[in-house]
Amino acid sequence: MTLEGWVPQINEYMSLSDVVEFAFDYRGNTTVVKGDGSEIVGYIFNRNVDTPEPFIQLFDEQGDGPFTIPYRDIVNIKFTGKDTAAGNSWKAWVERKEKERALRAAESGVDRLGRDPGPHGG
Amino acid sequence: MSVPVSQMVTVAGYIIRQKLNGRKRYPLVLMLEPLFRCNLACAGCGKIQYPAQILKKHLTVEQCLKAVDECGAPIVSIPGGEPLMYPDIDKLVQALVKRKKYIYLCTNAILLEEKLHLFSPSKYLTFSVHMDGLREDHDEAVCRDGVFDEAVGGIKAALARGFRVTTNTTLFDGASPLRMRQFFDEMMNLGVEGMMLSPGYSYSKAPDQEHFLRQARTNQLFHEMLSKASRRWKFNQSPLFLRFLMGKQDFECTPWGNPTFNMFGWQRPCYLLQEGYAASFQELMDTTPWENYGKKSGNEKCRDCMVHCGYEATAVDYTFSSLKGLAETVAVTLTGKL
Repeated sequence: MTLEGWVPQINEYMSLSDVVEFAFDYRGNTTVVKGDGSEIVGYIFNRNVDTPEPFIQLFDEQGDGPFTIPYRDIVNIKFTGKDTAAGNSWKAWVERKEKERALRAAESGVDRLGRDPGPHGG
Repeated sequence: MSVPVSQMVTVAGYIIRQKLNGRKRYPLVLMLEPLFRCNLACAGCGKIQYPAQILKKHLTVEQCLKAVDECGAPIVSIPGGEPLMYPDIDKLVQALVKRKKYIYLCTNAILLEEKLHLFSPSKYLTFSVHMDGLREDHDEAVCRDGVFDEAVGGIKAALARGFRVTTNTTLFDGASPLRMRQFFDEMMNLGVEGMMLSPGYSYSKAPDQEHFLRQARTNQLFHEMLSKASRRWKFNQSPLFLRFLMGKQDFECTPWGNPTFNMFGWQRPCYLLQEGYAASFQELMDTTPWENYGKKSGNEKCRDCMVHCGYEATAVDYTFSSLKGLAETVAVTLTGKL
């Protein structure tokens, strides 16, 4: 499940604060749409609501920053960048290793893993 | 235990000073992340999932040293990312040695042999090499074949030139106690000063979510692995922390014990959870709602965590908080019986 490509609709069911939380948790660039119509693309690494003026902080696409943007200046946040946390590299790796081991085992006629499964299984 | 006496004395003196000053929360190890870039993409790691512009960035040496001075911890651990990819790693280490900080440079050792000429052996500098088990287990954990052999090559080269070298091992579900015991023997045969162990933590951003250890399994695994420990095995960490992992000791988390600084600032509340950043160390200490973290808090994210960065500082603090704690530590250290 990834939020990549999501353009939230800010409404009674989804507040800007909710969207900021999603964006803070997102491991990719987002596009922050500001009230004056301008946009800034970057990685949101921080947000703070426990201050008189809640804000987000980001590094832009060039890596410049950090830029601090108050919540009051933000209209929406679009999840435009690639989600770098998405994917299943572990599964792909394990599947490949399993195939290699199975092949080796078939060739040599030994157990599937050739390793000690331990008392709880391997 | 394999921590050198001078390091033990420094740490003990530091903790006693904190206690005499009535400081309830104090840092023991600064986790300094100068960059997130790495030459591996391990499935259990949640540290490197960032957009390209973030991975290209790194802290300046000045930013690193400012954090070190702000924090004041006697030990500085440099993880990452891969710290040997940090372009100013030699300057940073030199400056830290000058400050008499005990440095654990946590590396996968792929670049170690190539970069050794940048460093001089010192009692303050330890290469802490990431080794997650025997060859096949390690290569699987780091998702690349051949890394175990490269790391062994790096360890041998560093030891030959007189550097302090330890290993750090993260254990995931499915680890075999028997194979880990063989691994400990192999590392001691290599001649490392000591080994550091920790169960993995389930980073929400790590690709592998299925192999992290839950508390009962952690206790079982460490009990099977460390019961009747060989006298040859040396661990470069608190023996009470190892007893905690074995289920023989009960501790609460001290997330402020290993504060983390990186290009985003001071990470709340700990090395593993990323719930926001403070602009200064003081702000981190003063404004983080510490009561919301640790097992007693009921925080779901902390429920199964038994990781060194939360509990090793607790174990060390316990040692110096009472005669009982000190006696227990001395007894385990002298007998070697965990």
